[in-house]
Amino acid sequence: MELSEKLVRGEGRFVDDIQMPGMLYLGFARSQYARAKILKISGAQLTHKEVNFEVVEVGEGATTGGPAALSHPVLANGHVGYVGQPVAAVYSDDRYVAEDLIDSVEIEYEPMKAIVDPEDSLKREVMYPGVKSNAIVDRYFGKEFTPDPSDIVIERKIINRRIATNPIEPRGIVAAYDGHKLTVWVSTQSAHSIKGGLSEALKMEPDRIRVVQVDTGGAFGLKGGLFPEYVVACYLAMKERRPVKWIETRREHLLASRPGRGVVANLKLYAKKDGTITGLKGEVIVDNGAFTGGSGEFSPMFIARQLAGAYYLPNAYVRAVSVLTNKAPQGPYRGAGRPEAMYFIERLMDGLADKLKMDPVALRLINAAKETYTSPLGMQVEKSRQFLESAIKELNYEKYRDRENVGFAFLILYHATAGGESARIKVENGRLKVWTGGNAHGQRHDIFIKTLLKEELGVPEDIVDVLKGDTDQLEDGVGAWGSRSSMVLSSAVIVAAGKIKEQIGKKHGKYTLKALLEGKWDEYEFFKYDKTESSLGANLVTVDMDSYGRVIVKECLSYYDIGRILDLDNAKGQNAGGAVQGIGQTLSEELAFDEDGLPLITSISDAGVLSADLVPKFGIKFHKSESPLPSKAKGIGEAPTIGVPIALSRAIEKATGKLIVETPIRPEYLLPEEKA
Amino acid sequence: MNPPAFEYFAPTGIDEVIDILAKYPGEAKILAGGQSLIPLLKARISSIPYLVSLSEVKGLSYVDEGKEGVRIGAMTVDSDIENSELIRKKFPVLHDATEQLADPLVRNVGTIGGNLSHADPANDLPAVMIALDARISVQGRNGLREIKARDFFLDTFTTALEAEEVLTEVTIPFWGKRSGGAYVKFKKNTWNFSVAAVAVQLELEGNKCTRANIATTSVSAKSGRMESAEKILAGKELTHEVISKAASEVAASAQPTSDPYGTEDYKREILKRITREAIRKALSRAGEN
Amino acid sequence: MVSKKHISITVNGEAKETEVEPRMLLAHFLREVVGLTGTHIGCDTTNCGACTVIMDGKAVKSCTILAVQANGKKVMTIEGLSKGREKLHPVQQSFVDKHGLQCGYCTSGMILTSYWLLKNRKNVTDEEIRAAISGNLCRCTGYDNIVESIKDASKKMEEEGDPIEEHPEIKVRA
Repeated sequence: MELSEKLVRGEGRFVDDIQMPGMLYLGFARSQYARAKILKISGAQLTHKEVNFEVVEVGEGATTGGPAALSHPVLANGHVGYVGQPVAAVYSDDRYVAEDLIDSVEIEYEPMKAIVDPEDSLKREVMYPGVKSNAIVDRYFGKEFTPDPSDIVIERKIINRRIATNPIEPRGIVAAYDGHKLTVWVSTQSAHSIKGGLSEALKMEPDRIRVVQVDTGGAFGLKGGLFPEYVVACYLAMKERRPVKWIETRREHLLASRPGRGVVANLKLYAKKDGTITGLKGEVIVDNGAFTGGSGEFSPMFIARQLAGAYYLPNAYVRAVSVLTNKAPQGPYRGAGRPEAMYFIERLMDGLADKLKMDPVALRLINAAKETYTSPLGMQVEKSRQFLESAIKELNYEKYRDRENVGFAFLILYHATAGGESARIKVENGRLKVWTGGNAHGQRHDIFIKTLLKEELGVPEDIVDVLKGDTDQLEDGVGAWGSRSSMVLSSAVIVAAGKIKEQIGKKHGKYTLKALLEGKWDEYEFFKYDKTESSLGANLVTVDMDSYGRVIVKECLSYYDIGRILDLDNAKGQNAGGAVQGIGQTLSEELAFDEDGLPLITSISDAGVLSADLVPKFGIKFHKSESPLPSKAKGIGEAPTIGVPIALSRAIEKATGKLIVETPIRPEYLLPEEKA
Repeated sequence: MNPPAFEYFAPTGIDEVIDILAKYPGEAKILAGGQSLIPLLKARISSIPYLVSLSEVKGLSYVDEGKEGVRIGAMTVDSDIENSELIRKKFPVLHDATEQLADPLVRNVGTIGGNLSHADPANDLPAVMIALDARISVQGRNGLREIKARDFFLDTFTTALEAEEVLTEVTIPFWGKRSGGAYVKFKKNTWNFSVAAVAVQLELEGNKCTRANIATTSVSAKSGRMESAEKILAGKELTHEVISKAASEVAASAQPTSDPYGTEDYKREILKRITREAIRKALSRAGEN
Repeated sequence: MVSKKHISITVNGEAKETEVEPRMLLAHFLREVVGLTGTHIGCDTTNCGACTVIMDGKAVKSCTILAVQANGKKVMTIEGLSKGREKLHPVQQSFVDKHGLQCGYCTSGMILTSYWLLKNRKNVTDEEIRAAISGNLCRCTGYDNIVESIKDASKKMEEEGDPIEEHPEIKVRA
């Protein structure tokens, strides 16, 4: 059955749908404190004494790994670093009883003064003995320069606060062990990442682990990663020789998954009086959380490197820092560094326009890169002026120019194409089976894979089965994130199809559909690609403000270069979905903490996830300059989460006359003064 | 997130409900729609040894027009009140509130009796019932008694219900011909409860306001009347100035506390503005009649 | 030890009789006792609506109803919409045609809330649709394609009627 049809019938197979005889339900007793020593644990079935593994970084934020002292223990090792950190595990063959057992675990703590604010962390005592500094990353990009004393300077502190990824399906895993092989069913963006991570964490040979992706109910960056709970589930499955299930509750998600954003920038933008930007200085500080294992070792560098935006920036010197705080580790969230970088430079550009009393879009046009160049911060910035000119036209900016409620965003989206992607096509009994290394979690790759196979091999859609990730069916793979799948995953499918076509040509003289379907073919392709590609985009947003300072988003329009459009409905869905998340980041989404590091957010609604009645209908137009990849497509997934917060923040700034330098913009800040 | 264990009773008659409540004083609680209670149990904020469900007691769901007022059965769900033409016409303040209560699916299960008995100061219906001068019928060991809505809410999660009593009906008396009301609720983004909300019910004679009731949601430990502000309106023509003065008085006499929904000052400021809006709306509705 | 309760719930037209612990949520009863896993659980706090089912003619959140509370009631899950028919229900078909789903996790709830809405109202406006699904969260689609799906379904229901006859209790209003 086709995937859409299965899902509308309620016949999808998500991880919590898996039932097995003898299955155990796993639960976690979690830290109530942001920072504390553990004095005593009683009533627990599993603690660090027995399960002494650490979580390694996998997925989108993967790096070589940080200092060993900072690794995330799967169960707390003598101390806790954030509220919600797993301290001990319990299990039962009844999920309700497992929850009762959590309540019966008693943990004695000696609380310590939490480190909550990332800037404060740099001034505080080190979080762990033996660690030199709370900055786990501290690097400079670009080159020190002396600004012209006659230059205009725009100086801002800009903050993107932490947000929960909040897929509607929470995290979850089922693990089973037959004495030799560990099989894992998991809601994920990358079966191969999970396999690699489990192999390393559990010190098991990779060929003894099989990871199967089940239908995955949204992920947004979160589910590329490996989590402490998954390692404990696998350990318990092997120990008890029984299948083990762990399903995250929403509260656990809000406390202890890997939230995104959480970045502070202190930046100065220099420019000549005619608006030409001359340089950028300052620092980017990432709120890493208490351990490695998220993306905090990678994100400050990635943000700093992109700070030229889509502009020609001749000089830059930026410090990239990631600091320890008593919060869950930061992780990738739709955009993962891209929205932050563009938000920072674009807010500075709007500030500069105001200072010079220039139209902000005219200012952007002056500074758009006329030629492709490598910025002093290290990223290649593609020539962007022509695109911006067409964006101004296509978004009809002239019509809006003089309005007091409009915001414009100009962005560059760096696709995570580097590393390439894999695909396997197997033809048997007149049907095609396709596996890919990037595992869809709400993007509907199945739709464009079928379109591509129709084009390449002439096969009708209804004989193609696009299967979920499975490490036993596919040798290797990367993952679905970073706006990469329409580029490298689709290209892997095209190349694999081409290989089959070539084999048939060799055997039969020429390719025919009949030969394809009557034969048995099986082709695996790892499409290697080493370059980071990019594309340009623009957004235009208008707002109305009510007398209470509530923002009503009127129009939210996108103009993105997505190269060849693989599927129009799909592209529109990616745009609207990302745009709602962009509005959410700007107006409502935040994981707030009090000064003791205690989380203030306890439900998905309080976390700011927007419902249909709070958002407008979205519009999108496409710029189609084909990518150099076989699919000719460019990514779109992260473009709206980059562009919408920028344009919306500006629209609100114009409509209220209040400087906007933080997301989310708190309603208190927007409450208009009343004349007495 | 699943509830801890409890014993469950689903009697078919009110007398039996009362017997069970009396058997486990302080340990048994009524389960109506469960839209507040079940989330509390699931979050394991509350643990209740004995739940007595009204789901199998027949005849507790109705909106009936009587001679002196409208009677609403305790198990009437919010959406039935929201969709009632009678309520929309006679008591727009109640229609306003039910239309904005939680979300459409919660309104299909949540009941008026549960909303009132739970006495969460962030629940919408207590303020509305106080503003409407409603009477709450409760049944206990000693039979039936009526409590004025204004005397019903004693504190956060505490009502005038005795341990073995159950709320069975709400009676809203008809107001004069030229009366009208409004409920204005200010929510912060997607957050579950309001920063502040206010119910206003007015009656006019000539160009003067003869009767004014104001009650608030989310800004005090319990929903209660704002009598000092009501006095500012009573007997006067509701000019811009009078309305502003009453609204400021509501804001001044409320007792909000700072929490993630907002600081104390922010809540007062919002309350002042929504009260003005609610009085104007109520006035305009009363004037139309 | 808490005593179990005997319950009988009509699920998609079939009576299901069993003993359950009083604390069992209707969502778990449907998923794990009856085995219908199309009803999903997303938020635990009665916000997301992934667990939406139709109970006695009304769309409700089954994670915030005890199975024992549903005793004697009629429940329809997503599986009931096209039960016994090869053809999809018009609402399901519209979600397929108009790309009203991406990851598919919120979809069962969205479809059932839409069904309930469309049984109660004809000629629905965008605003009415958005208000009606305000208790169902979707994190993938940005809602546009869902709204289009529901408008399309409204048309299809008008033209083809509702193939389900088990729910006469949902009164159709003009």
